Amino acid sequence: MVCIRKATIDDLLAMQACNLLCLPENYQMKYYFYHILSWPQLLYVAEDYNGRIVGYVLAKMEEETNECHGHITSLAVLRTHRKLGLATKLMSAAQTAMEQVCLRVFGAEYVSLHVRKSNRAAFHLYTETLGYKIHDIEAKYYADGEDAYDMRKQLKGKQYHHHHHHHHAGGCCAPEPKSLEAKPESKSEAKSSTKA
Amino acid sequence: MGASLPPKEANLFKLIVKSYETKQYKKGLKAADAILKKFPDHGETLSMKGLTLNCMDRKPEAYELVRMGLKNDLKSHVCWHVYGLLYRSDREYREAIKCYRNALRIDPDNIEILRDLSLLQAQMRDLDGFVQTRQQLLTLKPNHRMNWIGFAVSHHLNSNASKAVEILEAYEGTLEDDYPPDNERCEHGEMLLYKVSLLEECGSHERAFAELQKKQFKIVDKLSFKEQEVTLLVKLGRLEEGAKLYKALLSMNPDNYRYYEGLQKCVGLRSENGQYSSDEIDKLDALYKSLGQDYTWSSAVKRIPLDFLQGNQFHEAADKYIRPLLTKGVPSLFSDLSPLYDHPGKAEVLEQLILELEHSIKANGTYPGRVDKEPPSTLLWTLFYLAQHYDRRGQYDLALTKIDEAISHTPTVIDLYSVKSRIMKHAGDLPAAAALADEARCMDLADRYINSECVKRMLQADQVPLAEKTAVLFTKDGDQHTNLHDMQCMWYELASGDSYFRQGDLGRALKKFLAVEKHYADITEDQFDFHSYCLRKMTLRAYVAMLKFQDRLHSHSYFQKAASGAIRCYLKLYDSPSKSTTEEDDETSKLLPSQKKKMRQKQRKAEARAKKEAEVKNEEQSASSISKSGKRHVKPVDPDPKGEKLLQVEDPLLEATKYLKLLQKNSPDSFETHLLSFEVNIRKQKVLLALQALKQMLRLDAENPDSHRCLIMFFHKVDSTTTPVTDAEKLIWSVLEAERLSLSQLHEKSLLEANMFFLEKHKESLMHRAAVAEMLYVLEPSKKCEAVTLIEESSNNIIPSGGALGAVSVWRLKDCIAVHKLINTVLADQDAAIRWKGRCAQYFPYSTYFEGKLSSAMPDSAYNQIGGKSPENGTAISHTHGDKITDSIASNGKLEGFKELTI
Repeated sequence: MVCIRKATIDDLLAMQACNLLCLPENYQMKYYFYHILSWPQLLYVAEDYNGRIVGYVLAKMEEETNECHGHITSLAVLRTHRKLGLATKLMSAAQTAMEQVCLRVFGAEYVSLHVRKSNRAAFHLYTETLGYKIHDIEAKYYADGEDAYDMRKQLKGKQYHHHHHHHHAGGCCAPEPKSLEAKPESKSEAKSSTKA
Repeated sequence: MGASLPPKEANLFKLIVKSYETKQYKKGLKAADAILKKFPDHGETLSMKGLTLNCMDRKPEAYELVRMGLKNDLKSHVCWHVYGLLYRSDREYREAIKCYRNALRIDPDNIEILRDLSLLQAQMRDLDGFVQTRQQLLTLKPNHRMNWIGFAVSHHLNSNASKAVEILEAYEGTLEDDYPPDNERCEHGEMLLYKVSLLEECGSHERAFAELQKKQFKIVDKLSFKEQEVTLLVKLGRLEEGAKLYKALLSMNPDNYRYYEGLQKCVGLRSENGQYSSDEIDKLDALYKSLGQDYTWSSAVKRIPLDFLQGNQFHEAADKYIRPLLTKGVPSLFSDLSPLYDHPGKAEVLEQLILELEHSIKANGTYPGRVDKEPPSTLLWTLFYLAQHYDRRGQYDLALTKIDEAISHTPTVIDLYSVKSRIMKHAGDLPAAAALADEARCMDLADRYINSECVKRMLQADQVPLAEKTAVLFTKDGDQHTNLHDMQCMWYELASGDSYFRQGDLGRALKKFLAVEKHYADITEDQFDFHSYCLRKMTLRAYVAMLKFQDRLHSHSYFQKAASGAIRCYLKLYDSPSKSTTEEDDETSKLLPSQKKKMRQKQRKAEARAKKEAEVKNEEQSASSISKSGKRHVKPVDPDPKGEKLLQVEDPLLEATKYLKLLQKNSPDSFETHLLSFEVNIRKQKVLLALQALKQMLRLDAENPDSHRCLIMFFHKVDSTTTPVTDAEKLIWSVLEAERLSLSQLHEKSLLEANMFFLEKHKESLMHRAAVAEMLYVLEPSKKCEAVTLIEESSNNIIPSGGALGAVSVWRLKDCIAVHKLINTVLADQDAAIRWKGRCAQYFPYSTYFEGKLSSAMPDSAYNQIGGKSPENGTAISHTHGDKITDSIASNGKLEGFKELTI
């Protein structure tokens, strides 16, 4: 029904359009460029039979803190395409990529995300289906003053041991160059449209 | 830097530079003033002061100071560099490049300036220059990784992939054996994958494959590794291995359609046009059956066979596919199957199949041949599917019957109202569609998707203020009324632009279209920071892909729409310069005063409701959100909210030409591009350019009614101009004569004959007849009656429906409206227009434009009450559309054109 694949540069405009249709947290095109040009492995799209982008996940490595970890910047699925398990499939794909690229090399041990407290459907998806746990509550995280759950999930990496590396933070955790500092705040949220 | 200054001042100068780099502008300014007190003419200080002021939003002063500084010290590379930076900050890259070049003439090995220059060259795609600069940088600093990579990339961009490979290998030669250290593994792996992709690009598939295998353990991104490996296997003709690898990829992600395509290619079962022999179909069927056993959880493996199966096999597979999805209630089932409606015969099979399911569930509560009872929701989703099916087939009455049945079955499902809204839109009742979408929206105020959908419908119904108020419920950002523009929400800007254009508000329309054009300019600009960023990050494959994407950015459909919208505005402005302010749109002006009042009341009510919702939402927010950063962003007030200044352009056609050039460059295969080019150039009296546009139209679609219109118009205009006098005119004349002979349409025919010939060829088509009629009138205004008759004698035939329920006529609402406008304005025959309207009201009973019996334009329409209904209750609006249609048809049987309409 719907193709799940890695996003390419050509998908970014459609991803932005999908985001603007579904979610209140929006980003300028440059932020999408920033993602795909930093972590090209971590962006996935759901493309329907007519070639339309009906969902996406935008993920990154959080490199501002000492502790390098994965972060889901934004996840959306069009309301019309719920009940297909797309959010789950997109999240699993991004997570697998993080386990491959990030955990093994940089020792990223967990993925984090933010979700609106009121977004029961998304909360349910993260806790029940995807195994996230509440790590913290961020008061007034969203522009409209709503709180966010700061949720985390441990990455499982032990099975990828044939190229074992010690955990350390370096390389991809380098601070961003000055020129890109003006990027918008990375608020993520999954919406009720992800009623998987 | 700062040379020629005494030590104290020299230190101060260093402080200015440092303050600039650390963005402490006030500090820098102070230091500069301290120097200038003693040395008021010091060029470099003047320049740096200017550069600092530039960052403090004092542009005019900045330019003045930088220029003065340069004048005082023409031999300083600092002054030239600063001048370049100033231009760069204003996106004047060509000027900036010139300044850098002057700076380098004075200080040829200045790394910083060379680096800045290379960025601009990459941005401007001055690829020869880029290669040179990168070479110089590498020569100066060969121990920097970035300089090697930058040199390689520059050659790649300059179409020399093999040179790029050589450079990367030379770079690898400088590395130790145990490279990379842990913290550079990602980057190094990316570089290796980039190199392999370069080898592939050169056609050295063997080498690429060998290199990939050799470096396997140094490549971190395993998925990209496998995808690259399989591509190379296929290119090397090692199909068996390729098939095996595709299966491995599928076991990782069985929902990636591209892997299935690849696998089919490897086993020799892939045709680009989707046509297969029956033998191939059997093999494909077997392939997917076996894949289905391996990937039981994949939906792709079940859906793909519906594309190639035919006849009974298709029927069986579709039945098996559809049942569980209806039981589960998957709302996108119709959209998933809709591509099959383009395959001959499949729509009929689907219709029959779903009707059987519906019948069986209604009769027994089970699917045919099953004993298990279906949950009540199965009927709901079956009806939901049928409604969309009939909508797609153009049978709006049946579609509405089905969706109303679904709504009375379960009035609380939001999707039903969204689909009903879409059906009403297709049927031609835009206000009712907007009201239904609003009803859906009110059922879940927290869902932006249904808010967006509602906004779109409101804009389509030309309810712009209401749409804006509705959109704002999700787009407030601090003090800002709406962040739709900042967030580059282009669908919204395009839809508003279209609506303003329809309403004749050219100023506001232009403003919206140009806003979208601005987004594209900004996106082009976005790449600037990444020229250096990606060389550091080593995401080279993504970087090069991004540059290629930027090169074709303006061919994207949103840009095309914005540019053609703007051009149409300028054309209209040129044709009627006085009509710039808002007028009542056609539709409102046609309504009776009482209807207008009612409509306005309805709009006011809805607006009041939206406002109230916004206020509630606001109160909830304001208590908590003095924004995290603590400061409020104050947006500058828009000095021209109505776009009035945009209308005061001296030469609208000149403005139009700007955007036209972008379309011609980026969308040369779009018919619309050349149609617009024709319209612009014919007005500019640029005969040869108009001819060129005409020839492009004929190349792309010679049988298009617009091609015909332009052809006749053009030569009619040529014929009616006076004979040439000047040499230039004579030259043009001879070109035209030669071209005319080469056009088969006009070969040995007068324009009138060519017009009639076109009619003979396309007798059955309404739009072709309309074009012929219009041209007949243009060629011989005295034949207006004949022209009108030509249109009125068109017949709306029935599409053979292959035994499916109901009947559909050929004519499309959009075309009929266009024809009405033609009769009404160009041919200016009011009586005929009224006749046409009456006739179309029969074909399109829901159309508000034609004031169809069932449309909300009629005072007794059921939809007229929607707006007044309390939106929360969600109770069914169930009308008996089927009955109404029969009524309306029976009572209007006397109409002339109606004879051909059989129901």
